Amino acid sequence: MTTLPPLCMTRPKLTALARQKLPCSPRTIPRSQLIKEKDDIDHYLEVNFKGLSKEEVAAYRNSYKKNICVDMLRDGYHKSFTELFALMEKWDALREAAKVRSLFWLQRPLEEQPDKLDHFYYYLTRAEAAERKEYFEEVYNNLYALACYFNNSEDKWVRNHFYERCFEIAQLIKIDGGKKEAEAHAHMGLLFEEDGQLLEAAEHYEAFHQLTQGRIWKDETGRVLNLLACESLLRTYRLLSDKMLENKEYKQAIRILIKASEIAKEGNDKKMEEEASYYLGLAHLAAGEYETALAVLNTYANISADLDDDLSLGRAYEATAKVLQSQGQMAEAVKYLKKMVKIARKKFQSLDFVRASTMLGDIYNEKGYYNKASEYFQQAFDTTAELTNIPLMDETKVHYGIAKAHQMMLTINSYIESADLTSLDCLLSWKENRSDIAPDPTIGGSRRSTMESLYQTSEFSEEPRGFPDNQKKKT
Amino acid sequence: MNVIYPLAVPKGRRLCCEVCEAPAERVCGACTVTYYCGVVHQRADWGSIHEKICQLLIPLRTSMPFYNSEEERQHGLQQLQQRQKHLIEFCYTVAQKYIFEGKHEDAVPAALHSLRFRMSVHGLSSVELVPAYLLLAEASLGLGRIVQAEEYLSQAQWTVLKSAECCHATHSLLHRNLGLLYMAKENYEEARYHLANDIYFASCAFGTEHIRTSGGYFYLANIFYGLKNLDLADTLYTKVSEIWNKYLNNHYQVLSQARTQQVDLLGKQFETDTGLDEAQEAEAIQILTSILKIRESTSDKAPQKTIFVLKILFMLYYLMVNSSKAKEYAMRALDLAKEQQLSVHEQNTIQDLLNLTSAEEAHPITW
Repeated sequence: MTTLPPLCMTRPKLTALARQKLPCSPRTIPRSQLIKEKDDIDHYLEVNFKGLSKEEVAAYRNSYKKNICVDMLRDGYHKSFTELFALMEKWDALREAAKVRSLFWLQRPLEEQPDKLDHFYYYLTRAEAAERKEYFEEVYNNLYALACYFNNSEDKWVRNHFYERCFEIAQLIKIDGGKKEAEAHAHMGLLFEEDGQLLEAAEHYEAFHQLTQGRIWKDETGRVLNLLACESLLRTYRLLSDKMLENKEYKQAIRILIKASEIAKEGNDKKMEEEASYYLGLAHLAAGEYETALAVLNTYANISADLDDDLSLGRAYEATAKVLQSQGQMAEAVKYLKKMVKIARKKFQSLDFVRASTMLGDIYNEKGYYNKASEYFQQAFDTTAELTNIPLMDETKVHYGIAKAHQMMLTINSYIESADLTSLDCLLSWKENRSDIAPDPTIGGSRRSTMESLYQTSEFSEEPRGFPDNQKKKT
Repeated sequence: MNVIYPLAVPKGRRLCCEVCEAPAERVCGACTVTYYCGVVHQRADWGSIHEKICQLLIPLRTSMPFYNSEEERQHGLQQLQQRQKHLIEFCYTVAQKYIFEGKHEDAVPAALHSLRFRMSVHGLSSVELVPAYLLLAEASLGLGRIVQAEEYLSQAQWTVLKSAECCHATHSLLHRNLGLLYMAKENYEEARYHLANDIYFASCAFGTEHIRTSGGYFYLANIFYGLKNLDLADTLYTKVSEIWNKYLNNHYQVLSQARTQQVDLLGKQFETDTGLDEAQEAEAIQILTSILKIRESTSDKAPQKTIFVLKILFMLYYLMVNSSKAKEYAMRALDLAKEQQLSVHEQNTIQDLLNLTSAEEAHPITW
């Protein structure tokens, strides 16, 4: 709830009387007033014994909502009345729809919230008076104030309603050169974005962007409107492209992201530009266009280097490595990943570090350099242990185990195949303490040992979890 | 002979005049169950409503015929109830129509009939009596008898207060009449308060854009017009005209759609109608004509508004199958448009409306 100051409005008589009757108003009279001196006029009686005028009767008998409506109509503000009435009906309709789905409806009806009704009265009547005199700016301001007031989670629909009204009015305001119109577009874009209708949101944000191009308007918090426009537009485009990538519509996604990067370039904000290029690169990767992806990611890396932004540089290296990996250029990929690992370690970015190490280990694993692979996997596992991130820990554990297994595979193979006394001794000692086994050049022969060793090492990797030993199947 | 002698009537039976409850000297020759104190009252009643319900009163005021079985008795009782209800509604509508046409004198006997029948059917302190009281109050206001109107209204208000479930429509009507009363007494504060209540209740009952609510807006606009608050009055008049316009256009669309979909076997055209009963039609005419008068006085600054109202009136009369009046309004609209040199588009639309009437005349409804 925005902290607007409490309204100091002169309430019409009826609502003033009704306000006193409300349960939230102070009821008790201080005791000092009740004490009466000898021969003194009894103030309490004097004040309270006058009897009730018709208006007081009406104020007490009717609901606060009715009092507000009657006050609005009395002074001729019939449009405010119509709008308030429509909103209350909408609330009823929403409640009906919700009743079907849930048993109890936690939101209080508008009728029972006197503050909100007061705000409605105040701002709607002022807006209508301004509308009659055709001061559209005033109308816009009042409606915008109402929208801000209702900017909390349960009254989103009221706020959206007023955003739409502001939008309609803003179309009519020409004197300020379209600033209000631009703001209204921004609000409508926000509305649609929250609702999930990204296409309409994009349209509105585009209009917003167009209107604010070249102007140095600032909004109330001091941020330049043009930048806001670029940001929102980029955000929407990214969301849209995400959805499209999910649906595998690569061409469209890429097209939108290209638009986004153009806008970012116009916006003269490096950060936005690099974000845009990063996502474009990812999209190209997903679409399988490796060359373009590489080019784009290069620009991204350059910009990040210019900005001294190591985190994004790390991301750039990761993405490039992925591309190279898909292309099959493992050596290049390894280079980039090493760079990324260095940055991640410098910046204490554990997750990135884990990811990078895992990827490196993967590549080495495939290529056959099991030592290096297990080294990197060990690093990753240790980091996840520090982070105590259980799912990641399990993942890295498995990778580490597999790499270790591959590392020891040849040695154990040879031992088992040779099947002489020394190798059997080695094997038994290994089984007892499960430490690293020294590689022995004697080469033996049985086939099934490969499967066994793999089985054993998977057991090794599961051991910390405490699973029961499957010793029986061993030789 | 139409004259009766009060002394010759059987002991204990007092025959009272329909209109004023004085001892009766005359009887209506046609039905022989209605009594009057003099020729004046008889003439007034005949002109107002008795002509229409003369024969209908006979079964209600004579004793029930002899029925042979319980079923027939029940059936006979039901029929009696039905007839009374029908009479109630009929008298009410006729009285309302008179009031909207401005013939307040004639409205009084009709309203009294409605009231008496309601009393006999529903009892003395039922909510059903309230509309009849309100009608009588309105008629008295129209005749300038403010004290009498106040009496009727306080009776109505008391009945409403005492009854537990009174629907929004009745509340709305009550407040509307109270508003009119205070307007007549020139207490504009109170009048505005009551009319605001009227609009609120009517909106609860029918919705903010309904023709029943439009009456409340109209009277509120009148107050502001009287208080010289012209732009406020203007917005309210515009709202009223828009409500009526939407209603009539919708109705027309529905009808023309129905017409195109189902042509009768013999290719006859369907009769047009407004979907309103006579009283509501009269109300519409009254409201729209007064708005037209006010618009015409400021016609130079905003001719579109005058033309708008003229078009609505045209539509109303067209749907009421009163093509001469419809044509008249269309011609006025066309002249005004030409005079003020409005856009060609506007003139063409008016021309289309004129053609509509001539088309109707070319294919008259043949029975």
